Amino acid sequence: MAQALDYRTLEAAATWYVQLNAAQPSDAQLQAWQDWLGKSQAHAQAWARVEKLQRQFGSLPADVALPTLAGVRARRRAVVKTLAMLLAVGATGWSVHESTPALALMAELRTAKGQRRQVRLSDGSQLELNSDSAVDIHFDGQQRQLRLYRGEIMVQTASDPAARPFEVQTAEGRVRALGTRFSVRSDDGQSRVSVLQHAVEIRPVDNPLLMLRLEAGQSVSFDQRQIGSAHSAAPGTGAWTQGMLTVIEWRLADFVSELRRYRPGMLRCAEGIADLRLSGAFRIDDTDTILENLSASLPVKVRYLTRYWVSIEAV
Amino acid sequence: MPAPDHAALHTLYSEHHGWLKSWLRARLGNASDAADLAQDTFIRVLTARNAQTIREPRSYLGAIANALMIDKFRRKALEQAYLAELASRPERMADSPEKRLLILETLVAVDTLLDGLGERTRRIFLAVQLEGLSYVATAERLGVSVTTVKKHLIRALTHCLLLTDD
Repeated sequence: MAQALDYRTLEAAATWYVQLNAAQPSDAQLQAWQDWLGKSQAHAQAWARVEKLQRQFGSLPADVALPTLAGVRARRRAVVKTLAMLLAVGATGWSVHESTPALALMAELRTAKGQRRQVRLSDGSQLELNSDSAVDIHFDGQQRQLRLYRGEIMVQTASDPAARPFEVQTAEGRVRALGTRFSVRSDDGQSRVSVLQHAVEIRPVDNPLLMLRLEAGQSVSFDQRQIGSAHSAAPGTGAWTQGMLTVIEWRLADFVSELRRYRPGMLRCAEGIADLRLSGAFRIDDTDTILENLSASLPVKVRYLTRYWVSIEAV
Repeated sequence: MPAPDHAALHTLYSEHHGWLKSWLRARLGNASDAADLAQDTFIRVLTARNAQTIREPRSYLGAIANALMIDKFRRKALEQAYLAELASRPERMADSPEKRLLILETLVAVDTLLDGLGERTRRIFLAVQLEGLSYVATAERLGVSVTTVKKHLIRALTHCLLLTDD
């Protein structure tokens, strides 16, 4: 029987939601939450509202919704300053932190999960950031250097009148462009490079004498000491710049972990279905639809606890 | 619907519908909008099923009509902002009209929910809910602590939950 919920109960539900989404919750936390849920009808009812609200927010495309909400609010209040700021944040999706004048050549570029960004660098080179990526730009009289801290970038270098070398540095090593289009991805102690045009030279950070020249159409992974063997780049390499993810006979568990790069929150794949295989081209801008369609091609069901808490299970 | 309520509604309608229409017309400057809103107002009363308990019919009807008028303007402003935003994103123009309508409805609902929140609370809430930023990234962007982010999130979420139907 539905009843009027008091402020304290709703605040408790809100607090649980905020806590559980702060990080991967521990089993003890989940148990405590379950206990709270089971304690009274009102708690369950309040949580149902949380889920309803999350579904409502989850149905909005953030790229359009944010600037729309910001714009209409600002117009309503006629506060031009707020408008410009919110629009800048909402429309571009990443924030450029103002640096001190002494570091004027340094900019920090970031994308949140689910966002991509194209940036034209001062030398005319094109930089694209994939979801959940962070890059610093260090350009000076001697060099053009990008530092990739996290995630993945695609670089299309422009020729430089001053003939400064162009280099991408990751935690694992350096990738020097030899007039080229290439992508670099860095996560879990590994860098992965794919060359689409021309060639690059790769040097692991702890092994300065080791160098590999990677040619167009090839991919390779390297860590701080070793470079793996070069192989043909997989079909669909670099397709993320067009918002696509192409997979051929991937394990579901690998596919899900790739989706996590593009989707905020918790996305779990049950162990029993981890080895199911899947092929296809997917629009990574719409992971909701990917998840929705998953059960059509595989014997799985997708359970939403909240928008940010999704679990893929056997049927 | 119980019969007494039906009868009460009938009385309410016949005694006050004309008054409400001209009241709205004076405010909207437009007869057909006024007629639509008057109709919507009575539909609200009908679905609320409380016609027989209304003591001050005209102030009650006026309050509902007023809220509907505000909704209408809010909706109009949001619709314009949404269409302007769509126009600048060719890739979104491919969305079906049904999908766009659904998104607009949700935007109106969300905008109404967020109306009572302070500016900082609202920005924190949107950064986390819509942009999908982590608490840490949100804290960095706004130059506040993660604890502050959580506090504002709880406040915003509780506010929204209060206004959400079961």
